[in-house]
Amino acid sequence: MVKKKCVAMLLAGGKGSRLNDLTKELAKPAVPFGGKYRIIDFTLSNCANSGIDTVGVLTQYQPLLLNSYIGIGSAWDLDCKDGGVTVLPPYSESSEVKWYTGTASAIYQNLNYLKQYQPDYVLILSGDHIYKMNYESMLEYHQEKQADVTISLIEVAWEEANRFGIMNTDSDMRIIEFEEKPANPKNNLASMGIYIFSWNILKEYLEQDANNPDSSHDFGKDIIPLLLREKKNLFAYPFRGYWKDVGTVESLWEANMDLLKEDCELNLFDYSWKIYSVNPNRPPQFISPEAVVKESLINEGCTIEGEIEHSVLFQGVSIGKGSVVKDAVVMQDTAIGKDCFIERAIVPYDMTIPDGTVIRSFDEKIILVTEQLIRRLKPAY
Amino acid sequence: MKRKLLGIIDATTYHEDLKDLLTHRSLAALPFAGRYRIIDFILSSMVNSGIRSVAIFPKIQYRSLMDHLGSGKNWDLNRKRDGLFFFPSAIVDSEYNRIGSFDLFAANMDYFYRSTQEYAIISNCFTILNIDFGSVFKWHLQSGCDITEIHDQRGSSLEIYLIKTSLLIKLLETRNQTGYTCVQDVVNDPHHGYSICQYVYDGYAVMIDSIKTYYSSNMNLLQPEMWKQLFLRERPIFTKVKDEPPTKYLKGSKVTNAMIANGCLISGIVNRSIIARGVKIGKGSVIKNCIIMQKCQIEDNCYLDSMILDKDVKIEAGTKIIGTPGSPYVIRKGTKQGALMKS
Repeated sequence: MVKKKCVAMLLAGGKGSRLNDLTKELAKPAVPFGGKYRIIDFTLSNCANSGIDTVGVLTQYQPLLLNSYIGIGSAWDLDCKDGGVTVLPPYSESSEVKWYTGTASAIYQNLNYLKQYQPDYVLILSGDHIYKMNYESMLEYHQEKQADVTISLIEVAWEEANRFGIMNTDSDMRIIEFEEKPANPKNNLASMGIYIFSWNILKEYLEQDANNPDSSHDFGKDIIPLLLREKKNLFAYPFRGYWKDVGTVESLWEANMDLLKEDCELNLFDYSWKIYSVNPNRPPQFISPEAVVKESLINEGCTIEGEIEHSVLFQGVSIGKGSVVKDAVVMQDTAIGKDCFIERAIVPYDMTIPDGTVIRSFDEKIILVTEQLIRRLKPAY
Repeated sequence: MKRKLLGIIDATTYHEDLKDLLTHRSLAALPFAGRYRIIDFILSSMVNSGIRSVAIFPKIQYRSLMDHLGSGKNWDLNRKRDGLFFFPSAIVDSEYNRIGSFDLFAANMDYFYRSTQEYAIISNCFTILNIDFGSVFKWHLQSGCDITEIHDQRGSSLEIYLIKTSLLIKLLETRNQTGYTCVQDVVNDPHHGYSICQYVYDGYAVMIDSIKTYYSSNMNLLQPEMWKQLFLRERPIFTKVKDEPPTKYLKGSKVTNAMIANGCLISGIVNRSIIARGVKIGKGSVIKNCIIMQKCQIEDNCYLDSMILDKDVKIEAGTKIIGTPGSPYVIRKGTKQGALMKS
């Protein structure tokens, strides 16, 4: 096997329970986003654009779609002869089936995958976030600082800081303290769940952690605190730019709406840092003589006969005559019938919305449309 | 059906009337319907009919065609057995402009000798249709004819032929004795001694041979009934896919009756137009009855009516150009039009 300087391990087993019905049959990284993408496209494209060509994708929860979506990684140009994408599901050994019980255990159980590449560095990523980042710059920083571990940080709103792993650093960006979801945060620099480990440290500490029966085998809860206690060189890498954890229906809707802004921070039209995805082969979007389209993001294969305003439409969506769709996200291949009114909602993929359906919220809440909701709305005649 | 039919596409045709659009590309690679090249329709029809071996015979300006087709991956033709074959013509100077030149085919006899498919479809590269050759093949077998010629509803030939591969090889081998130079010669010769049948295809089919047919057949697609005949979910038209983001309609945009590909940024008003991938339309601009090809940039406050803009055209702010639907105004690839040069 060819030696690799840096191998990425992408944790894609997340359940995303707060996305309710959207993640009933999908892992969170496979959740559709931005009219065309799935959340994991951002991390995989970042790898491809950063020149990292060896990526292990760790799946566990609802992996069917994710596995077939990733395939051999050709969509991200990661179907290379040496390296490329390898999907790494949990497996059984002679003694037992070893489920991934935590982020660290997932990597520990795939140490053999890593060993074959004899990497100098291992980049640990999560497939749950939407952002564009150059991992190569982070790796350079890691080398410059002669760090054992580098953790990428982002400034979050103070009132949200208690939801994250918070880092306290000295003036040289050396991490002196790490608090997982602190009640009273001293800082608002949150871990993005992106780590670069020097290989020897990773191997040593994962093996040590695996033998600790009291550990929950989690990077944030166990490995990082242990490394800090042992006075290893942990450095913070500050990241500036768009970063979103779309963990809830509201935040997923918001992130989609962000894309409609004229000066959106997450520029999908930047050809020097393309976000790749599996391209559906569909005809151009068809906008009928009766249709009106304003301020929206629309993918190919849509057939629009109604009125669309400030909305995101995925591939293959059809909107019937007389229907109005406003401030909504409609996912792939969903058919909205005639004379519907849909506002401030996420309509998942492959749904059929009957003619005349009205979906609008009377408070600020975003509605996640479900089959049950549609049945309930059905007029009783 | 599978591995029974060979696909042969004659991509040597040049139509003088389309010269403004063919300076950088062959006719087969002419952009169509926002995201396709015209060869995609016949090629996808073949692939959707189970054809696994397709030979393409290009002649002039085939760089863009090769770039478009690549290894054939997008048509699932990058196979270990069979797949996509490219046979550029060694004959550069011939004036010849008819479908299925025997000299061209004969220069690559090995392909025909090696192919195991018993029958062959020989087609031109400039017909827009979504045909199931499976039905044609069944009909051909039942009719017992030597050569089947596909006709449109009005009875005109679509210049697509079905022939037994062994007969094609015989015609190629004996071309110097018989004097036949192409399939059309055989079909049109009253004394050929073969049985020729006409299969009538009643779906949508247009041969693109002039600016007028090019413009009107594009515009026809803005009618849902026409569009639906060409773009079927179960028989998709394949093309080279690009990683373009979805199209973004910005504040101030208003779009009605249009066909728009991905990767566009639209701030203006679009009506009855076909917009290809990666086009930018500035604020206050009005685009009506236009075909706008890939990566064109139309700055703010322009007014364009009945135009064909080839790839990479830049229209400077405030430019107003109006053509007529009967003779749409064509702007050549990569040129810049300023307000001061307006016609």
